Amino acid sequence: MHDIALYLHIPFCRRRCQYCSFVSFQGRETDVPAYVAALEEELRRRAGGQRVSSIYFGGGTPSLLSAGQIAGILTTVRTAFAVAGEAEITIEANPGTVDRAYLSALRAMGINRLSLGVQSLDDHELALLGRIHTATGAREAVRLARDAGFDNINLDLIYGLPGQTLSAWRNTLRRAIEMGPEHLSLYALTLEEDTPMWRTVREQQLPAVDPDRSADQYQAAEDMLAEQGYRHYEISNWARPGRECRHNLGYWLCRPYLGVGVAAHSFLDGRRLANTGSLDAYLAAYSGGHEPALEMDEHIGPDLEIAERIILGLRLCEGISLEDMPGIDFGQRYRRQIAEMEGAGLLEYGDGRIRLTRRGRLLSNEVFWRFLPEPAGAH
Amino acid sequence: MDRPLDRKNIRNFCIIAHIDHGKSTLADRLIELTGAMRSGDICNQVLDSMELERERGITIKAKAIRLDYRGADGGAYQLNLIDTPGHVDFSYEVSRTLAACDGAVLVIDATQGIQAQTLANVYFAMEHNLEIIPVINKIDLPSSETGQVLDEIENVLGYDREDVLLLSAKTGQGVPDLLKEIVRRIPPPAGDPGRPLRALIFDSHYDSYKGVVAYLRLIDGHIVRGDRLRLMRQEIEMEALEVGYFAPDQCPVAELIAGDVGYIATGLKNVRECRVGDTVTWAHKGAGEPLAGYQPAKPMVFAGIYPTQADDYHQLREAIDKLSLNDASLSSEPESSPILGHGFRCGFLGLLHLDIVCERLEREFGLSLVVTVPGVSFAITTTGGEQKTIVNPSEFPAPGEIASIEEPWVKISVITPSKFIGPLMELVKEYEGSYRHTEYLGQSTTGGEMGQRVRLEYEMPLRSMLTTFYDQLKSRSRGYASLDHEFTGYREARLVKLDVLVNDVVVDAFSRIIPPEKAHEVGRAMVDKLKEVIPRQLFKVPIQAAVGSRVVARADIAAKRKDVLAKCYGGDITRKRKLLEKQKEGKKKMKSIGRVEVPKEAFMDVLKLG
Ligand SMILES: Nc1nc2c(ncn2[C@@H]2O[C@H](COP(=O)(O)OP(=O)(O)O)[C@@H](O)[C@H]2O)c(=O)[nH]1
Ligand code: SF4
Repeated sequence: MHDIALYLHIPFCRRRCQYCSFVSFQGRETDVPAYVAALEEELRRRAGGQRVSSIYFGGGTPSLLSAGQIAGILTTVRTAFAVAGEAEITIEANPGTVDRAYLSALRAMGINRLSLGVQSLDDHELALLGRIHTATGAREAVRLARDAGFDNINLDLIYGLPGQTLSAWRNTLRRAIEMGPEHLSLYALTLEEDTPMWRTVREQQLPAVDPDRSADQYQAAEDMLAEQGYRHYEISNWARPGRECRHNLGYWLCRPYLGVGVAAHSFLDGRRLANTGSLDAYLAAYSGGHEPALEMDEHIGPDLEIAERIILGLRLCEGISLEDMPGIDFGQRYRRQIAEMEGAGLLEYGDGRIRLTRRGRLLSNEVFWRFLPEPAGAH
Repeated sequence: MDRPLDRKNIRNFCIIAHIDHGKSTLADRLIELTGAMRSGDICNQVLDSMELERERGITIKAKAIRLDYRGADGGAYQLNLIDTPGHVDFSYEVSRTLAACDGAVLVIDATQGIQAQTLANVYFAMEHNLEIIPVINKIDLPSSETGQVLDEIENVLGYDREDVLLLSAKTGQGVPDLLKEIVRRIPPPAGDPGRPLRALIFDSHYDSYKGVVAYLRLIDGHIVRGDRLRLMRQEIEMEALEVGYFAPDQCPVAELIAGDVGYIATGLKNVRECRVGDTVTWAHKGAGEPLAGYQPAKPMVFAGIYPTQADDYHQLREAIDKLSLNDASLSSEPESSPILGHGFRCGFLGLLHLDIVCERLEREFGLSLVVTVPGVSFAITTTGGEQKTIVNPSEFPAPGEIASIEEPWVKISVITPSKFIGPLMELVKEYEGSYRHTEYLGQSTTGGEMGQRVRLEYEMPLRSMLTTFYDQLKSRSRGYASLDHEFTGYREARLVKLDVLVNDVVVDAFSRIIPPEKAHEVGRAMVDKLKEVIPRQLFKVPIQAAVGSRVVARADIAAKRKDVLAKCYGGDITRKRKLLEKQKEGKKKMKSIGRVEVPKEAFMDVLKLG
């Protein structure tokens, strides 16, 4: 039996952010108790004695659940699975939803990593994003978390906001660094269709995102964080050495994981599965004593598996080893793609590994799609 | 119908009109009033065969309909209504059709008055000595200005107002009178049934069972089924496999005689052998002299036609061959382009002809096409003294190799309220035209503030009419101006080839022939448009417009810097992969120019650029 990573999705938010396209619901907080019960039922049903090496509460806003509810879920996990003693247990929290007692309770129940959705340290930008907290609130949350004993904190930040200058971004990042997190995740704002902010930009009430400026902001962040001793270990992630997120690394290394809750994804026994994205369907099924139908169940064949290993592996700054691709002569099969991308300055080769270059990290999609297999039937 | 009618009771006529003035509506009304549709039941067999043809996807539009009319005097008349193509592109065909008639009904819209094509049609009809019956149509409309239109007809065309009929093709008002006047004013056919056969081909179509079916007006002599016949200009012999007339379906008869309008099935395999305008006579003891005025219609406008998908090339070739069977004025030569692949350089009578052909290729044959910018045929003398005809801009010689260039010119006639004279003068100047002549048509029919209606005459290179001229004419005259043009001949020109280079590669499909002083402006527009529509690539892409080695405009598309996926939450790897798959599919649909990937739509946008 392999070790697995366990993801738990908590699809509730107090208020939807302007750019949000995640599966999350506002105004459904009365459903939380039923949801917790359903989640625990799903955990029990899907457990089969696996060893769990990391647990991740994601959302949505997991911190909308009471400490008692979280503790209950964790107890269920520990009963149903074999949780490793040194397991990394992360919870995402919104700075606007936490206080000292709550954070202390989380820490006390064994949660050892806190990921705060800070996004910006400029109140004007936070308002634009529709976040429910302020910059001060974010600083306060970090301070309280330290007091509560969290020694592994991640801050999520977003760059490439409409109209955001390079220096505005540097300021946010500098303030974030001053807060001393062990880990930083930086995401370029991507306006998905039909989000409120996407509409505002389309109606020209907000300037469109300038991709060149986002590129400048990303590279400025790479430089600033390197200077501060953070290791850029994945396209969007930086950490103090040894503080890389083990749970997320599992995704990039194609390790198995089980996701429970609405819209949660799993990768088990060479299959990618997805739960229903409908909160109602999920609640109705478990309250009726059965499992909701899967939204996706896809077998990953050998060609696709190799492509995924390459695409996900290349996200890591250490790149991929040419040797450890199962059953194929990697360098031979992809000689054309590797040469083309090396020529374009997006990939580099050294020590038996290939990895993205500084430029390649910003153009990673251009590298990745070239490694996809031809669609079925094209062979 | 068995016993030949007295020639005195036959009238051969057509209806001529500016577009939308009511020609088709009036024809329908005449057919209805004379009951021609009902005579279909004598032709049951023929109807059946028509149905077969419909199943094979061929629709045959009757080009001549025999109408049976009982005159006020009680006499039985046979009125042959011959259809004319409605557009100046087909002016040669119009002229041939008119040659088959003895009279014409000239329709003028009561709300619009005389328009450019009204005049062109009248002049054609006069050249053929046709008896013209002017009618004002749409008098039922409240906005009709019959009085003013009568003034214009008097002033410009010189007919007495008493001779003008007022009618409504829509309500039928005045149409019975028109029938009476057709009989009264249009002369019966001249010609002699006793002399050797001479018949004018005024139209034809290809039928896969009967071969080419030729539409004839018999001037002298007669044709019996089975006759051996000869085409006098093309020197081709054939047999009259079937002889008949249209009512409106094909009705076989035993014989056609001088004065009749009808058809023969020839068994010939291609309309090119049986050209409109040629004269048919007997193979033995035939006529000595053909009828006057034969000249095959020459293509004036050329464009490259390519399949979007290279795999469709053979299908495109078959489709063009099929259309050519029925369209003698469509020419095609295989050509290939480094960017567009294999296709054809086709010749057309004009822009409308081009549009019709492309539409049919797309609609009837399900093809998706790339059509290059239409151009004309240039006559070039090289410095080496060689004569060349160039219809593809990419073959245009380098500036140093050209001794002289000639290009086709047209005379254009514009009818407009005088209010727009200024803007239209400007427009024509911008399009390299020169002013010839102004003529006032009479009182305004569109209200005082527009001023009087005038006819303006200009000359301009056909080349400059082919882009946005017509749209501009309409927009600068708020839709009031109408246009007609006529080829006048070749003239010396000063022209250069403007090339567009994407990443230092010449894109042949974008090359165009323009006057040197426009090179900068046109080059700038193309370069800017390309910069706008070509997505950023992994490397910097220079775009240049150049005449020979001289760059006249340049823009660079900066290299793309960022293409990363956003946060992946909860391990949703599949969504990321799907997005990448979409990106990969997207790349496949692009045309590459050198190493630059250009979406097909972007390519088309630039081709459409006037
Ligand atoms: N009110 C009115 N409309 C007419 C009359 N004759 C034709 N039309 C309309 O004018 C338009 C153009 O007529 P059509 O016969 O197609 O013109 P064509 O282009 O000359 O064949 C159509 O919408 C007809 O319905 C008429 O006498 N009165
Ligand atoms: S907190 Fe996160 S999941 Fe919730 S609305 Fe905002 S962006 Fe969406």
